[in-house]
Amino acid sequence: MDSTISLALFRNVENAKEVRQNVMNGTFEAALLKPSMICDPFQVIVAANRAIHLNRQNKMITKNVHSEILFCLSPTKNISDSFRKFGLADNETSVMVVVADDIDGSTMSAICKCVKGELSDAQDVIHLTETKLIQKIYKIPDEELVVSKLLDSIVSRISSKDVLTL
Amino acid sequence: MEDESRNSIATMPVLMKQGAEAKLYKSTFYGKPCIIKERFTKCYRHPSLDKSLTAHRIKSEVRALLRCRMNGICTPTVYFTNMENSSIYMEEIEDAQTVREYIQHVQANENSDTANNILKPLGVKVGEILGIMHSNNIVHGDLTTSNMLLRGNPAGLDVVIIDFGLSHFENFAEEKGVDLYVLERAILSTHPNTEDFFQTILDSYKKYNLKSSVEVVAKLDEVRLRGRKRTMVG
Repeated sequence: MDSTISLALFRNVENAKEVRQNVMNGTFEAALLKPSMICDPFQVIVAANRAIHLNRQNKMITKNVHSEILFCLSPTKNISDSFRKFGLADNETSVMVVVADDIDGSTMSAICKCVKGELSDAQDVIHLTETKLIQKIYKIPDEELVVSKLLDSIVSRISSKDVLTL
Repeated sequence: MEDESRNSIATMPVLMKQGAEAKLYKSTFYGKPCIIKERFTKCYRHPSLDKSLTAHRIKSEVRALLRCRMNGICTPTVYFTNMENSSIYMEEIEDAQTVREYIQHVQANENSDTANNILKPLGVKVGEILGIMHSNNIVHGDLTTSNMLLRGNPAGLDVVIIDFGLSHFENFAEEKGVDLYVLERAILSTHPNTEDFFQTILDSYKKYNLKSSVEVVAKLDEVRLRGRKRTMVG
């Protein structure tokens, strides 16, 4: 059975706190990401793909697939630290929403109703990226970026997280 | 906009190559061209030994790919590792030829002096890469001209190192010396009249691996006399 990954980007969001609370209390299941930490939707896809894979193998570290997406995205093995760095904060004005296995699209439409903000193309996340911060958090040295695109460096780290002993 | 990737992660894998350790498939990963390297089970090994060896090699391969990248050496981006079926999903290096193909092409079209001159900058680049790898204690384990790709125009010297399946992290001159010896054998046996080319690599290597090149080159001389395997006497 194939899984699906749905992404949505909202800008000029007024009610980040409310949206986050709805996820916390289970009104809908989704991962809410900080767009400043995302340099390309593919980064999220790689993390989500890994989270879904670990879920199928019953090898998740966190309690559900959506928190696992956040955890997979992060280079640290500390769960609360991952949430703080990559998860939506209450004072933010943009959010990247990821939903796994939203086959009939009902979760995404519920989220669209709840978020007070404008829906944009997921690719627009590049305008919200904080490159310097990302480089620091993923510990990407300058000499690496001479031969590697930022996205490739991040993706390599996400996909090798479990074999990494840095 | 809602962006849904309903297609499965690997659409129609096509078998590309089969080696002694793994099969290579060409496929796509969420729309990006990708190579799947699947290590197959070796029936002649005890199942539990086979499992732990395979897992170990996948891990060291992924680790080496990342370590090289962190030190400024081009390697394919890893998209996903699946320990369940022992596969690595990685970026397909497009518009590339192997260094082996390039050398053969140059040698077929030029006389040997011109060929040596054309290949010189490539030798310097390869030496630089190996010097950086070894000074960071990354031993490739299977250095051949087929495991080095040249991306785009060969004059751009955009060398991508692949196949870290036998790589390990070692700070012993012995291992590094053997690494160079394997490359020397590979170059001299696949390409005639490349003694100068290997010497260029070695000279450049010495500049980039200042810490241990003297020791490693001394080991190389020793290994040349006895072969890759150390004599196990006493």
